[in-house]
Amino acid sequence: MENALKVVVTGEVDAGKSSLIGRLLYDTGSLHKGQMAEISRVSGINGSFLEFAYLLDGLEEERLGQLTIDTTQIFCRNAKSGFLFIDVPGHVELLKNMLCGSSYSQAAVLVADVTKPLENGSIRHINVLKFLGIGHIVVVLNKMDIIGFNQDIFERAKAEISAFIDSVGMKAECFIPLSARQGENLVKKSAKIFWYKGPCLIAALNSLVRSNKKEKKRGFYFPIQDVYIRKGKPVFVGTILSGRIKKNDRVHVSPEGKPDRIKTIRVFGKNKLSAQAPESIGLELASADGFRRGQIIYKDGQLKPSAEVSARILCVQPIRPEDKLFFSCATQQTLCSIKQINKFSSIASTITSASKSGLDKADVAEVVIAMQEPVVVKRFCQLEALGRFVLRKGREICAAGIIP
Amino acid sequence: MDSSAYLDDLESKSINIIREAYWQYKDKLAVLWSMGKDSTALVHLVRKAFLGEVPVSFIHIDTTFKFKQIYAFRDKYAKDWGINLIIAKNTAALAECMSPDKGRFDCCDSLKTEALKQVIESFGFKALLLAIRRDEHLIRAKERYFSQRDKEFQWDYKDQPLEMWAQYYKTEHEEGGHLRVHPMLHWREIDIWRYIKREKLPVIDLYFAKNNKRYRSIGCQCCCRAVESEANSIDKIIKELAFTRVAERSGRAQDKEKEYTMQKLRSLGYM
Repeated sequence: MENALKVVVTGEVDAGKSSLIGRLLYDTGSLHKGQMAEISRVSGINGSFLEFAYLLDGLEEERLGQLTIDTTQIFCRNAKSGFLFIDVPGHVELLKNMLCGSSYSQAAVLVADVTKPLENGSIRHINVLKFLGIGHIVVVLNKMDIIGFNQDIFERAKAEISAFIDSVGMKAECFIPLSARQGENLVKKSAKIFWYKGPCLIAALNSLVRSNKKEKKRGFYFPIQDVYIRKGKPVFVGTILSGRIKKNDRVHVSPEGKPDRIKTIRVFGKNKLSAQAPESIGLELASADGFRRGQIIYKDGQLKPSAEVSARILCVQPIRPEDKLFFSCATQQTLCSIKQINKFSSIASTITSASKSGLDKADVAEVVIAMQEPVVVKRFCQLEALGRFVLRKGREICAAGIIP
Repeated sequence: MDSSAYLDDLESKSINIIREAYWQYKDKLAVLWSMGKDSTALVHLVRKAFLGEVPVSFIHIDTTFKFKQIYAFRDKYAKDWGINLIIAKNTAALAECMSPDKGRFDCCDSLKTEALKQVIESFGFKALLLAIRRDEHLIRAKERYFSQRDKEFQWDYKDQPLEMWAQYYKTEHEEGGHLRVHPMLHWREIDIWRYIKREKLPVIDLYFAKNNKRYRSIGCQCCCRAVESEANSIDKIIKELAFTRVAERSGRAQDKEKEYTMQKLRSLGYM
């Protein structure tokens, strides 16, 4: 038994994202009786034109407006551990909700309408996946039924999307011609699309489950989340970001890298001899110094504090030069300002421009952030959890960031 | 990943969220405990998060219409676990004989939502931990881990804050409002049962089949219906859930009285 692979289903408005998920749930027997009855009631008796989108669009406004407003997650059964599909809105105004849902995913299905040229929504969503560093993308060319399962039209659409994905430095796992409405190439190979030699959608996703299993061995990093006093002694609680720790291991504490030793590893009702990511534990250190939230306990190597961080950010709110911003990475938080904007573009376009003074909603920018107090970070490719962060303005998260 | 590692992962994420909420709210944080399987698992997670010394209060919203087994379970485990329990009742509405006979929507709104409002007000709580899960209901699936409620208890589901990577949330509440924190949003029904089994947690026996019927979800006796099932043990429930086509809350009347009833109840502050 294991966690289901989290798959975000992205694409332009009306490309058929919710319908695709709905159809997969239907074909894999993941729906319960009430939903099946509702499908038949809403869609009439004819089984070939079932309306699936409202299985995910649960809000009244979503059903009446026939659009997805907020992200949702739904479990899909299969022979193995199953998939968790994340539905996200396609509208550019709902970028915040799209980003929220996508950030939970380990892989993506990009749904494109085979009858249309490369759409803005596809460009936008590929850019978001690129920004988030989601490496596994399965591209689905939907609505093959409308073009009579024509191979030439599929190849043309595939070439166009493929060229764009290449241009941003990514690679798609495969391109699948498919009809969500008719259930062609979803859970089994379609006879109507006999010329296609690749996998159906479920088979493509199953192969991602296998490739996703390779976990790198990494050092021990533990950001202090809070300090609880138990029996008069400080216990540093938090979640292990990576690696493994044993009782008596020698460690360092950021920012200065002060040496210390693990005295006790505490969980509810007992002490442990060792612990590993992603456990949430409590640590007692030999020195019992006055460490606090935001400091990081780590085992090997060095963590150098930085007063400036170069990063790529995606804004969900405008950022003006005078805005008071907070930088949050793991449990570290400090006041910061954007010192320099080197390059920016809108998430919805392919054009990159030189610097400007402020940033707008949906801008992706390469920036230099100046911290009031130094922080310790790593490159995203070294350790995801210390290589990504958010910027806050007031109470709100106004941008997400990645340290390349 | 073996079965235990997968549950560790779910558990760790929940504990992290509980600690994050406590860091922000200290004793202005409270836990809603209905004695059902989910919130009993939440109570356990809270005890784990605080290494056994729990610094927050627990609230039972008592409509007075609950199953008698619920009251017995509450009294036993509140004592065994040394829980600081607040029992919240809308006494004014009960004095006026509020009951499902006056309409289920009004009854839920009055005896649950209004009772919750009263207890939040009198104790000054700013954040609540709730055991809701995405897979229970389409409307709950739209939730965030940290979810704002305004002064009037309203949930603005059309403009929810950004959360990133299940790591960064908007943890500050708006002036006058409070925060609903959902540490178990990512758990599924089957996960709860596997966890109950692994952690050897007690559950109310209404969940186990008698005469081929059992409750999948419990609350007020008058508004819960048992579903057909032969699962009379935790193992059999886990087996059943891997294949069942019956919805978890199919026996809960308030969910399906009318379309969007749950959305309307929740937008007014229902759990």
